Amino acid sequence: MYHFNFTPVFENFDLLLYGAWLTIRLSFAAMILGLIVSVLGAAARTSHSKVLHAIVGAYVEIIRNTPFLVQIFFLYFGLPAIGISLDPNVAALIALVINVGAYGTEITRAGIESVPHGQIEAGRALGLGPIQIFRYVILKPALRNVYPAMTSQFIYLMLTSSVVSTISANDLASIGADLNAKTFASFEIYLVVTGIYLVLSLLFSGLFKLIQNAVFNYPASR
Amino acid sequence: MKFLKTVATAALTVGALMAGHAQATTLDQVEKAGVLKVGMLVDFPPFGLMGTSGKPEGYDADTAKALADYLGTKIEIVPVTGPNRIPYLLSGQVDVLVASLGITPERAKRVDFSRPYAGIEIMVYGKKDEKVSKPADLSGESVGVVRASTQDAGVTKVAPDDATIRRFDDDAGAVQALLSGQVPLIGVSNVVAAQIEKAAPGRFDEKFPLSSQVQGIAVEPGADKLLAKINAFVGSAMKDGTMDKISEQWLATDIPDFVRNGSVEEAATPKSATN
Repeated sequence: MYHFNFTPVFENFDLLLYGAWLTIRLSFAAMILGLIVSVLGAAARTSHSKVLHAIVGAYVEIIRNTPFLVQIFFLYFGLPAIGISLDPNVAALIALVINVGAYGTEITRAGIESVPHGQIEAGRALGLGPIQIFRYVILKPALRNVYPAMTSQFIYLMLTSSVVSTISANDLASIGADLNAKTFASFEIYLVVTGIYLVLSLLFSGLFKLIQNAVFNYPASR
Repeated sequence: MKFLKTVATAALTVGALMAGHAQATTLDQVEKAGVLKVGMLVDFPPFGLMGTSGKPEGYDADTAKALADYLGTKIEIVPVTGPNRIPYLLSGQVDVLVASLGITPERAKRVDFSRPYAGIEIMVYGKKDEKVSKPADLSGESVGVVRASTQDAGVTKVAPDDATIRRFDDDAGAVQALLSGQVPLIGVSNVVAAQIEKAAPGRFDEKFPLSSQVQGIAVEPGADKLLAKINAFVGSAMKDGTMDKISEQWLATDIPDFVRNGSVEEAATPKSATN
């Protein structure tokens, strides 16, 4: 019979919380920046410029078709060869933004393409400028349409951030690995770490729900 | 297959122990047989490994061959594993162990060790221009280590509070961080340091040692004449450059001083820090 021993977990609970805090900050910053990249990328992909199309298309395809682990290794271990040396936490953030930006671009593009053309023409008829049309007539309904897909991508981003422990960032997964290596209470530690990730996911889900209620508080068009 | 091998090894080990062994192998017996039976690890590169030709090679194999040459006998290498190497020796299935056996007080009670022929050292290692020669110099520096390795424990113990310890999942990560300049210093063993030296000659050097463990050739207790002859071999091989050559080939460095000047007495005296 296995005897559970949660002492190492409780003794180091402040460390785990510290790791969770980095995971939260990292994920939150990556979500905000990733959303900006997604909107800009989707705007470029739905624009009429062939050059922008090609550039953003290449970005999306390269990022979506390579493993995140390899991307983060490239940023952290590869870039110093050309003189760009990043702190592990900064490298982790950039890698997460680049990664979620590529997926987000495609999700946002799908949203933009779901906006009926008549709606855009209606905006023009009302005398709105191109930027106003993009912001109010295209982007907001577009984001509303893809909101569930976008938020689940963001939750996935938070879970993916556990990979950054490989470049020595001190996130929750990394602290868990440290404790495990020191105390060998694998079951207890990873049970608690899993629990913390679950709580974080649920908190982010709740937050997204609140944002949805506040931002998209008008009746759906369809 | 692996399971069968494990069972076979276990059976052999138990059998070997039960068969008992009346007397230590003497030098006369070895010379009369004309063959020196050497127990060697084959899963511990670069000390002992199976070569591409299927024959054991490595630091230990070369040392064992040089020993057999010195004794004027042929050599028969018997692959052993970490847990069964001492039983193999004590049951007389091998005459000597050249099996990277670290000299520790506990082992010295069961076997007799020759003077050290090899050593593993844990050290802080880094860029040539880093002015670091003692733990206090790590202040404000970042040091890469493998999570929960002996290096991690060693560096964590001696580093000042304002040093940043960056933990990676394996040697590859820590070494990569050093090579790419993400950390100026890492904690490594001399074995890994030798590989780094091969990959990037002249860029890095040892800053200060954290701990070390010397390895000796082991014989059964009582095989005094054989042991004396082995000690004479190690002594002359240290002097005439044979050991330096072997070390150069497998570890990319000369025999370090802690091995050259080490003694069994020193290594077998109980102390707090052993690996």
